[in-house]
Amino acid sequence: MGEIVLEMKNIIKDFPGVRALNHVNFEARAGEVLALVGENGAGKSTLMKVLSGVWPYPTYQGDIFIRGELKRFHNTKEAEESRVAIIYQELNLIPELSVAENIFLDRQFTKAGVINWSKVNAETQKLLDDLHLEGIKPTDQIKELTVGKQQMVEIAKALSLNANILVFDEPTSALTDKEVEALFTIIRKLKQQGVCMSYISHKMEELEQIADRVIVLRDGQTIGEVTPISEITLEQIISRMVGRDIKDMFPKKEFQRGEKVLEVKNFEVDHPLMPGEKKVKNASFSAYKGEILGISGLMGSGRTELVSGIFGALPKLARGEVILKGKPLSIKTPQDAIEQGLGLVTEDRKRVGLILGQSVLQNMTISSLETVANQWGVINKSKERSLANEYVSKLKIKTPGLDVTIDTLSGGNQQKVIVAKWLNTKPVVLILDEPTRGIDVGAKVEIYNLLNQLIEEGVTVIIISSELPEVMGMSDRLLVMCEGEIVAELSHKDATKEMVMEYATGSRKKEASL
Amino acid sequence: MIKKVLQNEGIQKVLQNPNTQIVLKFLKANGTLVALVVLMLIFSFADESFFTPRNLTNLARQATIIGIIAVGMTMVILINGIDLGVGSIVGLAAISVTMMMQSGINMWLAVLLTLILVGGGIGLWNGFWIAHYNIPPFIITLAMMTIARGMALVFSKGGSIPVEEPQFRQIGGAFLPKTLSAVVILAALVFYFYSLYKSLQEKKKYGIEVQKQDIITSAVIAVVGLGLAFWVFISYRGIPSPVIIFVVIVFISSFVLQNTKFGRRLYAMGGNEEAARLSGINIYQTKIIVFCVVTVLSALAGILLASRLNGASPNLGNMFELFAISAVIIGGTSFSGGIGTITGTVVGVFIIGVLENGMSLLGVPMQWQFIVRGFIIILAVWFDVVTKKKKG
Repeated sequence: MGEIVLEMKNIIKDFPGVRALNHVNFEARAGEVLALVGENGAGKSTLMKVLSGVWPYPTYQGDIFIRGELKRFHNTKEAEESRVAIIYQELNLIPELSVAENIFLDRQFTKAGVINWSKVNAETQKLLDDLHLEGIKPTDQIKELTVGKQQMVEIAKALSLNANILVFDEPTSALTDKEVEALFTIIRKLKQQGVCMSYISHKMEELEQIADRVIVLRDGQTIGEVTPISEITLEQIISRMVGRDIKDMFPKKEFQRGEKVLEVKNFEVDHPLMPGEKKVKNASFSAYKGEILGISGLMGSGRTELVSGIFGALPKLARGEVILKGKPLSIKTPQDAIEQGLGLVTEDRKRVGLILGQSVLQNMTISSLETVANQWGVINKSKERSLANEYVSKLKIKTPGLDVTIDTLSGGNQQKVIVAKWLNTKPVVLILDEPTRGIDVGAKVEIYNLLNQLIEEGVTVIIISSELPEVMGMSDRLLVMCEGEIVAELSHKDATKEMVMEYATGSRKKEASL
Repeated sequence: MIKKVLQNEGIQKVLQNPNTQIVLKFLKANGTLVALVVLMLIFSFADESFFTPRNLTNLARQATIIGIIAVGMTMVILINGIDLGVGSIVGLAAISVTMMMQSGINMWLAVLLTLILVGGGIGLWNGFWIAHYNIPPFIITLAMMTIARGMALVFSKGGSIPVEEPQFRQIGGAFLPKTLSAVVILAALVFYFYSLYKSLQEKKKYGIEVQKQDIITSAVIAVVGLGLAFWVFISYRGIPSPVIIFVVIVFISSFVLQNTKFGRRLYAMGGNEEAARLSGINIYQTKIIVFCVVTVLSALAGILLASRLNGASPNLGNMFELFAISAVIIGGTSFSGGIGTITGTVVGVFIIGVLENGMSLLGVPMQWQFIVRGFIIILAVWFDVVTKKKKG
């Protein structure tokens, strides 16, 4: 391991009403991967924004030393000049432009103001070759690349700026396993070249694979010292993160499995862009009262399309039989699905789940206004409020009131509002797509308890999750999807992590009976 | 420079004073209303004929025609749409109703047919393209703007259509008798305080915190507003019929937006259309209804205008779409949907109306009126952006 190239001392950053960073201290060395972990809101991203000049000096206090030199960045350009680069969670590429145009954006090789495109493309090719990136051409449009490849382009862009302090902000949150492998190969290569890397992640299992040392942030403070990964267990990291031991991360309760409630037969979903291709192929499964059915699979395996299709959210693309309590349903729109007793907590909370900018109350009752309105469609506002207040106390939603905008709530509480919204439609089957994405560990456990509560109330629950421990820890039965097919049905007693991964990655084939 | 002034200790003291805080809060919440009052004060001092019952009655008669369209436009903009065709529909409706009467059709039947055919028909047509094919409303209604204007010119052969039916003039030109007007305004005041009392009781019952300041503000606005209306209308000729129609439309649509499932759906769609769809809202149907509401209201405005002028020309309603959209934006409705109120739009309508009336009284040339109006829109949007930023 090399010399110390990055040192942050006594960093303090205040936002109105909150101290986001409180005397943060750490240092990172050349040729290492330093993992920066912590719950959501612990201050990881804020810290990295201070480092990269997004929060310029003097909006923070404290000192940043780069290669021993005190630096005070007033903008991101100055950080770039000091060879610091961040690969953001949301990629910062322009989808309509080509790979080369993005990498050399605003620094193209020009002659008298005219861009020399062949040189730009050639230089880009050289960068891609250095990273051994196959399957990406300098002239490819960004929007045609997978998220994984886009990330590689971001890395190439950072390297083209000669960055030798690289920060990855949750780089794998949208990647498939193969893409994660490719990313790790590149990270290892960069390590050998002496690049100092900081790696922000939620995923514990990745740390073991890629990190050399780890530092934990909690409530804006560093907890403990920078510790080599070999000298600390995952449990110890988690306990530093949450400030307590979570022995029982998954409070699974055992229930008596009841009658068959939902049956789906030969369900198919067409690819929206490629005619003839299918996102979901010939899927059949059943869900029972008194059990949680889990659906696992990699991103892009068709999980979301399967449940959205059943819910009527993909008109014209989806077809197949959906039978609820022995009665075949005809679902053409989400409206039909809700009327017949289905509910869907969508995957992308911010984009298609919440109505941002509007109140907690409005978000909570929008799917079930008929429960608070008379036959003329006039809402009884007091009835609506008392109903909403009931859910607030029942689901322990932490909110200053019903009239604040939903944006001001934490991710976990936003998710609870969405669950409340669906509970009030009195669903027979509630499907939750990635119910705990982007919410912190404490709130996750509360969501899990809520799932148990739902089962107790007789709702049939289906959950989809990318996090294997979660979907295995909470479900009674587990379906595994791979490339649009349901390839395995496992009981939670038989399933092992390895087995699920083998099915999900296609290395173990589907059994004939399915 | 401004920063330095704000950091000055004396000014800080004034800013932190609780009374100043109350005033600031009031300004933030009722900025456009304050702007309207200030505008009226300026014109009152600048020209003595401005603040007279006669002039204000005329102002109300003119502003409410735009106001009726602006109510529909508020709903369209709330769902993140726009309707550029409303001005041309005013012209087409005016031509349609007058020509029908000329050809011997009964007056009320002509009015009804115009509302259904011109208003409802065009609304369904617009709504169908927008909802079914997801074509941006801007484009469909831009096309309708030229189609409807062209149709008005074709039907009227480019000339004006006179009206022989004497009763037609009454629709948009009549006045409610003075005594009846007085009763109506007093009844409105009583009704206001009754509903305020009811809502306070409801809030008490459910333990919702009551903001004293807000109640006082709203009561003062109501009393002053109705008092002004009383003075203006009673000392001139009574309440003009377009004003009555406008008030009824405002009342109904405001109630619909705030208190019905339909209203809630509009806000949800404007806030996040995909989330609204996945919440079970029938986007298709709602869009068609909203685009019909705005065209029917525009057709109504066209009929009222033809009635007031006692005749129609195919160019009636020219640029009305811009006045209506300006009023909605000045009234605080977000152009990206999801935020806005009818009461805000009403204030916006009167700001536009007072500006036009006042500047004409002062003899400001038309070309300068345009420029001033443009700057007012920018000012309103700037105010909106600045106050919102502070909240976030």
